[in-house]
Amino acid sequence: MLTYAIRRLLQLPIVLFVVSVVIVGLLQFLPPSSRAAAYVKSEQQLAHLDEIIKQYNLDAPFYVQYWTWLKNALHGNLGFSRVDKKPVLESIATRLPVSAELVLYAFLPTLLFSIWLGTLAAIHRDKFLDQLIRVMAVIFWSLPTFVLGIALVAVVYGYFKLFGIGRLPPELYIQLSQQEAAGQFHFYTGLLTLDGLLNGRLDVTLAALKHLVLPTITLVLVLGAQIVRVMRSSMLDELGKDYVRTARAKGLPEKVVYYKHARRNALIPVITLAGLMFAFMLNGVVITETIFNLPGLGQWAANAALQLDQPSILGFALFTAFIVALANIAVDLLYALVDPRIRYE
Amino acid sequence: MRKALGLVVGLLLFAGLALAAVPKDTYVYMTYGDIDTLDPAQAYDTASLQIIENVYETLFTYKKDSLTEYEPLLATRYEIKDGGQTYIFHLRKGVQFHSGNPMTCRDAEYSFERILVTNPGDGPGWFFAESLIGYDSNAKSALGENASPAEYEKYWQLIDKSVECDDLYTLRFTLVKPDPTFFAKLLYAGAAIVDSKWAIEHGEWSGTKKDWLDWAGKDLRQSYLHQHVSGTGPYKLVKWDGESVVAEAFDKYWGKKPAIKKVLIQIVKEQATRIEALKRGDADRVTVNDWATLESQIRGLPGVKIWSDPNWARAAAGVIFFNFKVEGKDNPYLGKTTPRDLFGDVNVRKAFAHLVDQDALIEELFLGHGVKYTMALPPSFLGYDPTIPIYEFDPDKAEMYFKKAFGGKLWQEGFEVTITYNQGNTFRQTVAEMLKANVEEINPKFRVNVRGLQWPDYLRSARNKMLPIWPLGWVADYADPDNFIHPFYHSKGALAKRQNLNIPELDKLVEEARATVDPKKRAEIYKRIGRLAHDLAVNVPLPAQQAFIVTRDNLKGVYYNPMRSGTFLWKDISKE
Repeated sequence: MLTYAIRRLLQLPIVLFVVSVVIVGLLQFLPPSSRAAAYVKSEQQLAHLDEIIKQYNLDAPFYVQYWTWLKNALHGNLGFSRVDKKPVLESIATRLPVSAELVLYAFLPTLLFSIWLGTLAAIHRDKFLDQLIRVMAVIFWSLPTFVLGIALVAVVYGYFKLFGIGRLPPELYIQLSQQEAAGQFHFYTGLLTLDGLLNGRLDVTLAALKHLVLPTITLVLVLGAQIVRVMRSSMLDELGKDYVRTARAKGLPEKVVYYKHARRNALIPVITLAGLMFAFMLNGVVITETIFNLPGLGQWAANAALQLDQPSILGFALFTAFIVALANIAVDLLYALVDPRIRYE
Repeated sequence: MRKALGLVVGLLLFAGLALAAVPKDTYVYMTYGDIDTLDPAQAYDTASLQIIENVYETLFTYKKDSLTEYEPLLATRYEIKDGGQTYIFHLRKGVQFHSGNPMTCRDAEYSFERILVTNPGDGPGWFFAESLIGYDSNAKSALGENASPAEYEKYWQLIDKSVECDDLYTLRFTLVKPDPTFFAKLLYAGAAIVDSKWAIEHGEWSGTKKDWLDWAGKDLRQSYLHQHVSGTGPYKLVKWDGESVVAEAFDKYWGKKPAIKKVLIQIVKEQATRIEALKRGDADRVTVNDWATLESQIRGLPGVKIWSDPNWARAAAGVIFFNFKVEGKDNPYLGKTTPRDLFGDVNVRKAFAHLVDQDALIEELFLGHGVKYTMALPPSFLGYDPTIPIYEFDPDKAEMYFKKAFGGKLWQEGFEVTITYNQGNTFRQTVAEMLKANVEEINPKFRVNVRGLQWPDYLRSARNKMLPIWPLGWVADYADPDNFIHPFYHSKGALAKRQNLNIPELDKLVEEARATVDPKKRAEIYKRIGRLAHDLAVNVPLPAQQAFIVTRDNLKGVYYNPMRSGTFLWKDISKE
């Protein structure tokens, strides 16, 4: 199993290399004046377009641009993020914790909640509970994230004045910034709920948690709906199989049949989906981040793509490739854990 | 059941009541524009400058909301000598930077020379360089990478001589020629005095000839002043994480102590989120995109105040540009048989001008809160002539002009043209769609397409002079008419050159105005330019929406100065 994981990890640099060549290559199809979009913001700067193209070397041939980037990347410098106005690595480092904190609180509840509901629906097939769960799943799955998000902001945050948007209330954010400057507060991890505890500041942790409630609900509902559906159909498949009939014939209690036998096997497709979903969430959920004003990776990537900010796009793509590869390996290893018939030599 | 419900509602209400608004000494502004940089020599966008204008200071500044009255900041008085070629500023004594360093003429000299030395292509340095050294770009860009050492030396001498200290508190600018726009340029928030000692200590340009060329055209976003500030302003930067800015009052500020002690400028992209935050009291001011949102979602909200005045207009102008001779092979914006000089014919331009229904635009887009323009110049600027007629909406006249165009050939054969706008700009989109509807109705052989371009495509097409007709605007860099007249009406102007405009008489007038120091005479020339441009219909000035500010109702001291990026300074406001 370990050798399998290592072998898979060794493939990673090749994936990263191909991804980077493809992206730089694709961007070359655009003329330099289009690629200057990340540098030119106003009509005024338009007058100096040629100068800007020269200044940022946008008219250099493909191999020169790629080589310059690769040389720097190998030295640990992924370039400067035009949309974020700081080095790409710094961008990832400051934005990853924001996305990660959301994943931390949204992923596990999403998973557990929807596996539970999916199982419940399958067990009560075609009964009222099943119908209810299915209808709800379809509703939340087809509900655009921005509709749900804005509704939560308007009703829960705006009308009932509960929870918050952004990562912290404004006063607390100002206070922490001042204390950070004075060396009285340290952002060790960038995860505010954790940093609060590490600094002995329970108020920060609680405030940060309060601000995570609404985006978490959004993600649980929208993403959970997909898992519920997969879990239900997978569970139904398993329940129709011979081994389940055998188990029942042996006189095992229904609970054991459902939860010990069938559900375990039904989890395989859910794990695949969850692995992808995890990577997807960690890479930022653009709309949720935008509505709840969380400066995570998703907002950054969307901005970078719109403005053709090459270093940012590359940095983000490499990071994504890395996370997806890791998630895939984790999924493969989990298969073996759930289903002992699967082994990796 | 009822009891339980009552309890839940009660609890929710309590949670609402228990919530405190932003404290009295704190100002929270939620807006959408990304801050590009905090370096005054690089900043060229309102989002960045609205921070810079509060943490840094210039020599002089606008008096509250006036564009014509100024007040001294880091200078106490100034003199103009040699017929407008020399400007002498007497600097304020006893001013400290946030770092604790005292401010002297060395800092002022360093700041302006740094703008001239670095002058990156995407920065504002060009308009200072134009006045002070006669170039509009940095040495590498102006002379080329392969210029001889002697040429570079000459360029450095120009910089070195243009800004000098007569003594520790007297700053002297020597211009290449008398320039009536120079003082207005010094009011630009980026003409700020930076802390030279502190900047040099942190690896910025040394202020000497030794490394000046290394800094020519450098992207200043990668150096120290991009993220760090030591200015003389009433506020000190606490943190800028690439998104929000936190600032606090500077306790050693030379002027009056501000009432607001803490400031948070928060970037919130989603308008609905901003509005909810305002309602709830988490924000003192928010950016609202348009009048429609203002009327439907903001007006009447308890605790919220809308500030507006019919005279409030941005220091901006927008027009419909016509390309006199469209360029580019396989141009997708022009029909195959349509002549490239379609808009070279004055009749076509006038016909289009008569098909813009200005009243409908103002009514529908700005809900009646709009200002019509007679020329491409903000009405508050010197030289604006309100008596120049505006082409009224008149399909009959348009038809007459179309029939005259190209000796009647155009009416027979028709044309196909694409109006482009930058995607996301609903105003320009509406203008384009209105023209499409109105033009196509006149003659079925006329085809007008409307296409929204992404910024990268827009840049490419504009640069290659491929666009035949496009609405576009420009916001003032500095409060001088030349900042509009040259780009909009001179054949070499930043915008007009994209339309292949070449009317020698206009060029002559624009240049004449540039060389005229007397404001009265200048104003007369601008009026003549406006009238000539109208007669030739070189472009169609578009109406602009009346400006407004949305705040909580306990915010006091709010005013509107179109040249301030934040419309007012933080130090001028307070809360009840």
